[in-house]
Amino acid sequence: MVSEDNVNGDSVSVEDDFDGDDYDYDDGGDYYDDDYGDAGDDDDDYGLVEDDDVDDPGAMVSRRPKLGYTVLQEADIKQRQEDDISKVSTVLSLSQVEATILLRHYNWNVNEVHDEWFSDEERVRKSVGLLERPVVDVSDASEFTCGICFDLLPCDNFASASCGHPFCRECWQGYICTSINDGPGCLLLRCPEPSCKAAVGPDMIDKLAPCEEKEKYSQFLLRSYIEDNREAKWCPAPGCENAINFAVGGGDFDVTCLCSYRFCWNCTVEAHRPVDCETVTKWMLKNSVDGENVNWILHNSKTCPKCKRPIEKNQGCMHMTCTPPCSYEFCWLCLRAWSSHGLATGGFYSCNVYEAEMQKGNVDAEMRREMAKNSFEKYTHYYERWASNQSSREKALEDLNRMERENMEKLCNVQCTTMSQLKCITEAWLQIVECRRVLKWTYAYGYYLPEHEKTKTQFFEYLQGEAEAGLERLHRCAEKELDKYVTADGPSSDFDDFRTKLTGLTSVTKTYFENLVRALENGLEDVNSTACNKTVSPRSPASPRSPTGRNGKGRGSRGKESPRAGGSPKNVGNTSK
Amino acid sequence: MQASRARLFKEYKEVQREKTADPDIQLVCDDSNIFKWTALIKGPSETPYEGGVFQLAFAVPEQYPLQPPQVRFLTKIFHPNVHFKTGEICLDILKNAWSPAWTLQSVCRAIIALMAHPEPDSPLNCDSGNLLRSGDMRGFQSMARMYTRLAAMPKKG
Repeated sequence: MVSEDNVNGDSVSVEDDFDGDDYDYDDGGDYYDDDYGDAGDDDDDYGLVEDDDVDDPGAMVSRRPKLGYTVLQEADIKQRQEDDISKVSTVLSLSQVEATILLRHYNWNVNEVHDEWFSDEERVRKSVGLLERPVVDVSDASEFTCGICFDLLPCDNFASASCGHPFCRECWQGYICTSINDGPGCLLLRCPEPSCKAAVGPDMIDKLAPCEEKEKYSQFLLRSYIEDNREAKWCPAPGCENAINFAVGGGDFDVTCLCSYRFCWNCTVEAHRPVDCETVTKWMLKNSVDGENVNWILHNSKTCPKCKRPIEKNQGCMHMTCTPPCSYEFCWLCLRAWSSHGLATGGFYSCNVYEAEMQKGNVDAEMRREMAKNSFEKYTHYYERWASNQSSREKALEDLNRMERENMEKLCNVQCTTMSQLKCITEAWLQIVECRRVLKWTYAYGYYLPEHEKTKTQFFEYLQGEAEAGLERLHRCAEKELDKYVTADGPSSDFDDFRTKLTGLTSVTKTYFENLVRALENGLEDVNSTACNKTVSPRSPASPRSPTGRNGKGRGSRGKESPRAGGSPKNVGNTSK
Repeated sequence: MQASRARLFKEYKEVQREKTADPDIQLVCDDSNIFKWTALIKGPSETPYEGGVFQLAFAVPEQYPLQPPQVRFLTKIFHPNVHFKTGEICLDILKNAWSPAWTLQSVCRAIIALMAHPEPDSPLNCDSGNLLRSGDMRGFQSMARMYTRLAAMPKKG
């Protein structure tokens, strides 16, 4: 699913397999490993997750296609943008500048540019503002009156876009700067002459704008390549400047940025598998509903139906036009495309569509009613657990970082062991971080689980409870017990046992969570058929000391070969090198 | 600031020179402030505004002509794109479609054109817009004519 251009540059191609049996907590771990061990050939290493669904004939495999995504760093984005521009420039025999304008106009979709151009070049040129020759000929005049300041000046003070309309350099500069300081709409700049549609491209900016604005413009141009591109989004982590290119195709949206932030590409909230985006949105909204800000945004704004930015309507009619470059025109009342409005929808301000929706039950109102209905206690119960796992996860991340910064080396020295033998500690912490994340979201899931579905609720709570208990054991082991070995005076005789225990706990916990995730993603559907098997399985993991524990019952009880058989000994192998 | 002043001064001289060029528009600069202008425009013929004289107020920003002037009707007018109470005008060239090559004079011309060709699809005055949209030309015209008589014509006797 990873397209062929993913291999260029330094971009990291990640091929994740999203079938249920491979909810791979190692993802993060693998990444770390690569980082420490053999940074540089990441591309290949990511392939190691691929071996899976061969053994698993389950329904889930066919339901979820493999998806690919690529993390793009600034250099990659530039490179791709330049490549696209060159491609269009070559195929259409246009200058780089013209190709840039054209691509920006079609949201950087190379195929669309080609299709449109070859189907009707003249129309495209007209709408984009690419003129083949100037519409005014001024070559023989020695001086002009500038159309903006009305000064009469010698002709070498003048500049013009492809149309030839002359304006003095100073006015050009003012015009361009105003537009650039107004925002990314400057990428769609046209000649100042009102009747003229000629595009003002990067070459003019380069020639006429001051340094600061030039810099801004090139930033806008670069950002546009991500923001206007249907297949790319910025990583939402604070301070992260990477983007994720995602091969759109439905299914699972979890992506991991190079900054190690995991998020859902669809809703750009942090990764929330196994809970779906809708539940997460509801839950997040519910959490923040007391926040003044969010309340205000909810009550006073709507999001643009196309680009999803919140919009406050402070004046004028129902005909809304989003700020460029989105420029989407829509109806404020029903949020549908303005072009779909007319007499048929009952007019422009008493939009029938909206009235009908109101009668059926408006979304906002329904939500508010629902909130009133739901008992506060229930919400608090789930929220507290959600929030405490959240903070626990953050704490674990800190601990992991501190561990790597300070304690690992210390531990090496104290216990007279090698770094590679301590890999199991990093792995345990990564597992904890990941499990906290999953556990957190299961509380959002639990909150929305219908109360009348008793069996499902019980099953869910059972799985959740088992997983949580396992995680607590692991967390305690990694946090408290490890400490003893770090502060010891010399090599401890039972350190090897501790390592084995930790490795065992890690894989057992992993199995619990895999079961939990699988069950939730299945909508707890096998509650009737395999409930018995399932409830037995988690109770019989091998003792934590046995590294084979994870291979065993968790999966075996479902009557399937472990599809990650190739993967699990890897963990063990690593730790006992 | 300097650029806008120079440009407005040029427009001022142009207006003085061509006072009679466009009999429908009379642009006057405030005596003490070149950033404040008023205009008297004649209601276009064959519209319910015919015979009326409408006063516009211009507030020119310091960034003019890079930023558009703010224009509103001082005279009450019944028109889909003019706010009935404040006189605010919904016209693209005064907002996002502004170009620095426009002048106060050409803005007046654009407003006269808007009076002749209302845009009921993006209305500021919903009553007026709905009359037009529902095809009630007679209702719209008589309302508009009534307000023209009341507000934009010299009181008789």
